[in-house]
Amino acid sequence: MITYDKTTLSNGLTVIANRDKASRMAAVNLLYKVGARNENPSRTGLAHLFEHLMFRGTHQVPDFDTPVQMACGENNAFTNNDYTDFYITLPCDNIETALWLESDRMTGLNLSEEACQIEKRVVIEEFRQRYLNQPYGDLNMLLRSMVYKKHPYRWATIGIAPEHIEQATIEEIRGFYARFYHPSNAILSVSGDFSSEKIFSLAEKWFGEITDKAQAIDAIPQEPAQIEARRLEVERDVPATTIVIAFHMGNRLSHDFFLGDMTSDLLAGGDSARLYERLIKRNRLFASVNAYISGDVDCGMFVFTGQLLPTTTEAEAEAAFWEEIDKLKSGEISDYELEKVKNKFEANTLFGELNVMNKAMNLGYYEMIGDLGLINREVDIYRSLAREEVADFSQHIFRTENSSTLIYRAKQ
Amino acid sequence: MKQPPLITPSQIVVPAAERHTASNGTSIYAINCPEYEVVRISFVFHAGTITQCHPFAASATANMLAEGTELYSSQQIAEKLDYYGSYFDINIDRDYAYITFCCLSKFFTQTAEVIEQVILHPTFPESEVETYKAKRKQQLSIERRKVETLARENFARAMFGDSHPYGISYSEERYDTLSSEILRNHYSRCYTAERCMVVCSGTISEEVLSRTRQIAEQLSSSPLLDTITIPTFDTTHDVRINHSGAVQSSIRMGRMLFPRTHEDFIPMQVLATLLGGYFGSRLMQNLREQNGFTYGVFSAMVNFQQAGYLAIATQVGKEITERALGEIAHEIDQLRTTLVEQEELELVKNIMAGEMMRILDGPFGIADVTTENILCGFDNSHIQHNLERIRQTTPDEILSLAQRYLNPADLVTVVVGDFE
Repeated sequence: MITYDKTTLSNGLTVIANRDKASRMAAVNLLYKVGARNENPSRTGLAHLFEHLMFRGTHQVPDFDTPVQMACGENNAFTNNDYTDFYITLPCDNIETALWLESDRMTGLNLSEEACQIEKRVVIEEFRQRYLNQPYGDLNMLLRSMVYKKHPYRWATIGIAPEHIEQATIEEIRGFYARFYHPSNAILSVSGDFSSEKIFSLAEKWFGEITDKAQAIDAIPQEPAQIEARRLEVERDVPATTIVIAFHMGNRLSHDFFLGDMTSDLLAGGDSARLYERLIKRNRLFASVNAYISGDVDCGMFVFTGQLLPTTTEAEAEAAFWEEIDKLKSGEISDYELEKVKNKFEANTLFGELNVMNKAMNLGYYEMIGDLGLINREVDIYRSLAREEVADFSQHIFRTENSSTLIYRAKQ
Repeated sequence: MKQPPLITPSQIVVPAAERHTASNGTSIYAINCPEYEVVRISFVFHAGTITQCHPFAASATANMLAEGTELYSSQQIAEKLDYYGSYFDINIDRDYAYITFCCLSKFFTQTAEVIEQVILHPTFPESEVETYKAKRKQQLSIERRKVETLARENFARAMFGDSHPYGISYSEERYDTLSSEILRNHYSRCYTAERCMVVCSGTISEEVLSRTRQIAEQLSSSPLLDTITIPTFDTTHDVRINHSGAVQSSIRMGRMLFPRTHEDFIPMQVLATLLGGYFGSRLMQNLREQNGFTYGVFSAMVNFQQAGYLAIATQVGKEITERALGEIAHEIDQLRTTLVEQEELELVKNIMAGEMMRILDGPFGIADVTTENILCGFDNSHIQHNLERIRQTTPDEILSLAQRYLNPADLVTVVVGDFE
């Protein structure tokens, strides 16, 4: 249970406060509601490039990191398809340093031609290091482009190709900042040993004077229902073949989301879960295997993935996944098994609430998806799910015509 | 608006670890943090890879402790832990194996039953060993397609020597030679009272303490403790490994120094942080921010029980590999010739203090730091000592350390990339 209070400043900035009396650290999280899904298809990778540029300094504070570090703090950020998140943890006494820095870079970012050129090079190296120079590095890109035809989830956060980043102009980058980086598109969440009143007045002090310049944000094209099975086979220089089967499922606030989450736990939540126990240990078909939900805000994916042992044929591996799916569809789930995944969900929720950073980050996230109260209701929702619902979910999601199969074959 | 005033913490208060001794001599350290309704128990055995008599035996033994015991199959153990939302974690380095269990306080009793089986009664069933071998062999062959894995392994070899216990690595085919019997032998030789200590954190009730003691007391005793003599190092200074098709080269550079107990270890840590230990470090500024050669570059002191070294690691575009090497050499030379500005050194000291505070935030972090202190022969008062030692480091000291320890002739350089 995470206690919190929430307010909105007159410029539209949402502020959420959590008190943690045990910690001498404070966490300041600033979430901007912009991710790769807001990108133009011919300029992908811009949201992530922009996250990097946020560390390039402002006219007032030319170097962002130094003041954080002088305050014994640490900061970082990440971008995904839905949002961009910036966070700082530092000793409580220095919390105002974090607020000062975040409010400063919400308006005064230094977007010079030179800064952009250097940062583009860094991001292109990241592209090469993480996606091109890694075995299986392009697997997720291939999967996305097969599963999504219309929705911008069809590209990964890093972008479609290094050329998109290379060709981004300074005008496009400045336009992106103006459109997405302003108070009413942001959520500030703070955890530390402070009263909510104190946090709210500090937020007003540091952010209250920023003028909001909200612009209309384009609607995101939603993915039409898939009506026939898709399949892609590629060959790569990797040691083992990997098979992925993905299905479309509901969005983050739909009831399907919780059922999908629970189904993936039944299949792959821990070493006693079905896939590990049956497909790795009992049948020795795979070296590794997983089932997960992509967890996106808009309609996401339910994904099965497995890396084959050399003795397993592709047909056997695929059939093994479908066999597990059939068991779920027929409701072959024991009370014991259900209770186990529910207990595990509850424990993991508690383990995730042990430090200020996780709490501040989670509060921002739940506010972003549009239901802050869900942060404390999810364990109960999970507890209430029944076997019949999981079977029902499996029947309407795991259909061949809703599937995309990727065979990522090892070159002989 | 104006920058708010800064407050620099001058003290880090850490709860002391309470020491208890089991009847067989095993030490149990308890750090009670009752505000968290969780329990974490770590068993640390002197059973790292240097203790093994057979390739991969040490890691396989540690990783398979929970894959079948006298009372339970691996499936039953996984079920029992998962059912209560408990989990365990296995870590192994060259010197030690760390087996850590976490659970909610309300499920400690049920979890302890599993801990007892895993620590005291593993059986290493042959069929599980076969599954493990196949899986690990495949994982390792994938890892070795990556330039950074090859660089890491070759760097250890270059530093210590091909057959030195701190430097050796084995081909993945050697997994085929493992057997249940080899693991059982390694277990009975290394998982003994003399080689073990236990660290508990979270809510440490009477029950938690007495049950933990009861488990530790059942560890067998082996009076003959084979002391490991570390052979002399056989260092190679320049190694290039070709890896066709790599779009980036992986670079490792470093210098053999000394373990954590050496008087210069902390000031050398300050130096390593200054050079490449944080986002705005000299190497990051140069290679990433000014040149765009890399996504990241790091340096740190690496610590073993009987050795220690300084290491720099990065991955750069293949066409600028030589330029990147030149820039790293240039930054090292700067440290040897020019006094560091007081302001930059202050920044580094604050970063290190902040890092210590962050690690120590929460019961699990405190336990990790306590474990590390004990293994080096210190207690938790050493944290304050370290903080003070960091604060005392001066620009003159950094300069003289760089001159003494970072002579270019002593450096080891390993590059893995496409040189064709």
